[in-house]
Amino acid sequence: MSAPLPRRIWSWFAQTRVGRSVFRVGPPQSNLERSQAMVSSFLLHVQPAKVSRHALRASYSLGLGLISLYLFFILIVTGVLLMFYYVPSTLQAYDRMKDLQFVISAGLVVRNMHRWAAHLMVLFVMMHLCRVFYTGAYKQPREFNWVLGVGLFLMTLGLSFTGYLLPWDQLAFWAITVGTNIAGYAPVIGPKLKFLLLGGNEVGQEALTRFYALHVIVLPALAGLMVAVHLWRVRKDGGLSRPDLPEDSVQSLPLSQLPTNKSYGLMELARGTTPQVGRDPDDEIFSWPHLIFRELLLFMLVVAVVLFLAIFWNAPLEELANTVHPPNPAKAPWYFLGLQELVSYSAFWGGVVVPALLVTALVLLPYIDRKRQGVGRWFARERAVANTIFSVCLVTAIALTVIGTVFRGPNWSWVVPWQTPPAITEGH
Amino acid sequence: MNRSPPNANGVSRRGFFQLSIGWLAASFAAAATAVATVRFLVPNVVFEPDQRFKAGAPDDYPDGSVTFLEDERVFVVRRGNSFRCVSAVCTHLGCTVNRAGQGYHCPCHGSAFSEEGRVESGPAPRPLAWFLVTLSKDNRLLVDKGQIVGADKYLVL
Amino acid sequence: MSDGSVRSFYGWFTTLGLLVGVLVGLGYYRDEYRPWKDYQRRFIREEIRRATTPDQRVLAQNTAVQVRQILLPDLNRVDRCTTCHLAVEDPSYGGYPQPLAYHPLHDQHPFDKFGCTVCHRGQGRATTAADAHGAVAHWDEPMLPLKYIQASCGQCHDASDNPAAPELERGEQLFETTGCRGCHRLGGVGGNIGPELDRVGARRSPDWLRQHFLAPAAVTPGSGMPPQKFAEADIEAIVLFMLSQTGANLPGFYASMKVIPSASEGQRLFQQKGCIGCHSVGGQGGKVGPALDDVGLRRTPEWMMQHFRDPQTVSPGSVMPRFGFTEAEARALTDFLLRLRDQKLALSIPALMGPVDRGREIYRKYGCSGCHGPEGKGGVPNPNAKTAEQVPGLTYVADGYTKPELKKLILRGQREIVPLDPRRPAPPLYMPAWGSTIKDAEIDDLVAYLFSLKPKGEDLGF
Repeated sequence: MSAPLPRRIWSWFAQTRVGRSVFRVGPPQSNLERSQAMVSSFLLHVQPAKVSRHALRASYSLGLGLISLYLFFILIVTGVLLMFYYVPSTLQAYDRMKDLQFVISAGLVVRNMHRWAAHLMVLFVMMHLCRVFYTGAYKQPREFNWVLGVGLFLMTLGLSFTGYLLPWDQLAFWAITVGTNIAGYAPVIGPKLKFLLLGGNEVGQEALTRFYALHVIVLPALAGLMVAVHLWRVRKDGGLSRPDLPEDSVQSLPLSQLPTNKSYGLMELARGTTPQVGRDPDDEIFSWPHLIFRELLLFMLVVAVVLFLAIFWNAPLEELANTVHPPNPAKAPWYFLGLQELVSYSAFWGGVVVPALLVTALVLLPYIDRKRQGVGRWFARERAVANTIFSVCLVTAIALTVIGTVFRGPNWSWVVPWQTPPAITEGH
Repeated sequence: MNRSPPNANGVSRRGFFQLSIGWLAASFAAAATAVATVRFLVPNVVFEPDQRFKAGAPDDYPDGSVTFLEDERVFVVRRGNSFRCVSAVCTHLGCTVNRAGQGYHCPCHGSAFSEEGRVESGPAPRPLAWFLVTLSKDNRLLVDKGQIVGADKYLVL
Repeated sequence: MSDGSVRSFYGWFTTLGLLVGVLVGLGYYRDEYRPWKDYQRRFIREEIRRATTPDQRVLAQNTAVQVRQILLPDLNRVDRCTTCHLAVEDPSYGGYPQPLAYHPLHDQHPFDKFGCTVCHRGQGRATTAADAHGAVAHWDEPMLPLKYIQASCGQCHDASDNPAAPELERGEQLFETTGCRGCHRLGGVGGNIGPELDRVGARRSPDWLRQHFLAPAAVTPGSGMPPQKFAEADIEAIVLFMLSQTGANLPGFYASMKVIPSASEGQRLFQQKGCIGCHSVGGQGGKVGPALDDVGLRRTPEWMMQHFRDPQTVSPGSVMPRFGFTEAEARALTDFLLRLRDQKLALSIPALMGPVDRGREIYRKYGCSGCHGPEGKGGVPNPNAKTAEQVPGLTYVADGYTKPELKKLILRGQREIVPLDPRRPAPPLYMPAWGSTIKDAEIDDLVAYLFSLKPKGEDLGF
């Protein structure tokens, strides 16, 4: 029997006049066509025609960066849909959230998808950062891409934080009150920064308008741009990082000395651990279909998981925001709870110094750690020191977040979650 | 590995079957998602005053009267025991018409309408709409601006 | 394809494809199937069954299945209750099981102007029964049990005079006579020992309020409020009155409802406008105009209304001036005069009362009896207070104080109460400073009243 039906349909369409005007390359039958399918496509050409076998290993990258990207796409699509109904007014926002739940077709599922994809994206971006660290993939020549990645991580947190306020319920209002107060602790610029963020001195309509603008256009546009550069750099830095092979003895060559008068084409630029002209072709395989198919599968998996969560678990919506009645305790979004825990010890050291140091350390990391060993392998022994330091910080961050989530109760007191809390004497 | 030999494209029978089911399911999912997205964008409720409204009890309108309801922009006309409801929105460009003698007159561009709403002069292209009037269950006049009826449809009590 | 690396993933592809397909289908199905659609179809079937003419049948068959809502922009609400409660305006559905039952008594409060939740509470924007009825997490306003529905009348109307809400009236009377104001401020008047009650109806559930009256310390640890001894019917009434205090600030059209003419409004106007200057009631007052005790028997309400508008038109040669009353004021005064006929209302006109009688009114008005007992008899517990662990009675206050001293005490209050045992917690009840609430002239009358409490003829012979 011949090819499957969808393939046959597409083959037929691709050789009609209309088809040929849209898809300049039909279904690839030869290696040349497989290369052309990648290179001549707008959407696909950021990926190379051939990739190293190593890059396709799921156990290496775990697809975390791709998953983050897919979650971003899902967020954009569901976010745009939500924009058709949401109104960024303190008088209407909450009611619109209720309308999504009750009278808008598929409203609840779309909103839930948006919320769960957002939480997952923060989580997976963090995991992606950890993966890149543990495989030493931030080292030369990928330093700048790592910096871009840290920037993207901050964008993700910013997007999540600005979006958190929009439902205008108790959860949203007080989480952002806590979060902006933490921002206000920064020395010198803190109060001004808080004033700028809130468009005033308190969380109100101005804050809602600003957060909405940031959330739907400013941060997504910036993040999108940075994602584009980030993917572009992946390509230009030689694809995903791979372990050095013994045959790798090629030094970095300045562009002007390359043995070819073409600077681009179906060949990759040679540099270090990247696919090289003249290398054994069995080390690379064609992106079409090997990479593309895996990417499609991963996309379907991500969509399935987000859909599953959205159908069976509702995103939270508490009471309408009440500016005089904070919940006890008032907690920041989960990714800031470690921070809030630190702040409960010291506003300055916990809320300003530690995060600033962490971000600075992350940004400067590839310029500090210049040893070239241990790239392309998980937990390489040559990098034991770096890995240990990172792991300690990671575990601490997780522990602080868990404490802030589970072990802190009213008045930020210590509670043991499996025991009944004592009755709170509420003031009148 | 399955037993059947791969065909010219390297696809086995089992692989073919799996691919087809997979593509079918994915296509269904994509199509259903597209339908759901469109359905999502179609409003189920509108935040506008209801097209159907109550115009008070029949006896609120004296015999032979023409009453203008400002909020709804309609005239309620009673002749004997028959009621009708005429739109006060000029069919030219939407201004509110005024009573003029037995008929109506639009102050914006001078369209004149007869007592039944027919265009007598002026730029209006169509006669004034008549709306469906029924009696509600609690004996009030029920006007439905979403239902335009012919210019001879009265509610007769 | 030169190797099997992609082929090995076909199984994954199938599974994931099916999974996504199933999930999308499931999501869409769950969204399309809504319980309210069932109710609407049931209603349509019933309408078709009851149709007596082909026209009606066609009308019923063409009824769309859709969300129905009442838009209330002035109240910033949307009520979707009519999505399931489809027959609220149709009297022929009286006695049907909910949600298809008829809703009586809506003539004065048409649904398109008032909606549902403004009286019944609940979550108007919801379209499922549980969420709409509001007894769910994260919704502060569950539906009022029907027995408390008159509480909602109090949001717009005066509680003190509403014949259609007798429970509310009773609750308000209880509130005033039991002396709750002695500790609790309501409408700006009252003591500050307990919390203000202006929004208590929005913050507390009926059950909480009940329990609070019966055993305050059980629901509010550390409360100094003594348990209230109410009869069962009275508890319901006062809970209802508490529920009516929601602090709702209703705009424009709805606020005008406060001016609904009521007899007590009429009494207030009667006193304010000085009618007693020319007319007499109960033998007291002026002699220029006729006595008004039985005017309700002699004149119709329409005559009285016209008389208020312009006395000359119905009573030529009358010297009564045109006061320029609004229609609402005229209605209120008419209601009041009619009430005189029905109940022989005891008219307390301050100008004609002596200081002691006025003082008694003031004692009642500010809720002194809540702590000092009715007529100053005492008996209200104040744990650990040196004064026999009770708030002192006032019967013999004339023996312990001069008038200026008593006046000063009332004005300044007494925050620190001497405890019986310093090791126990301080007494919860104290004397608030009334200087900012009670007007100066009232204090003198109050003092006169308190001095009159001592039984006559008792001479302690000290």
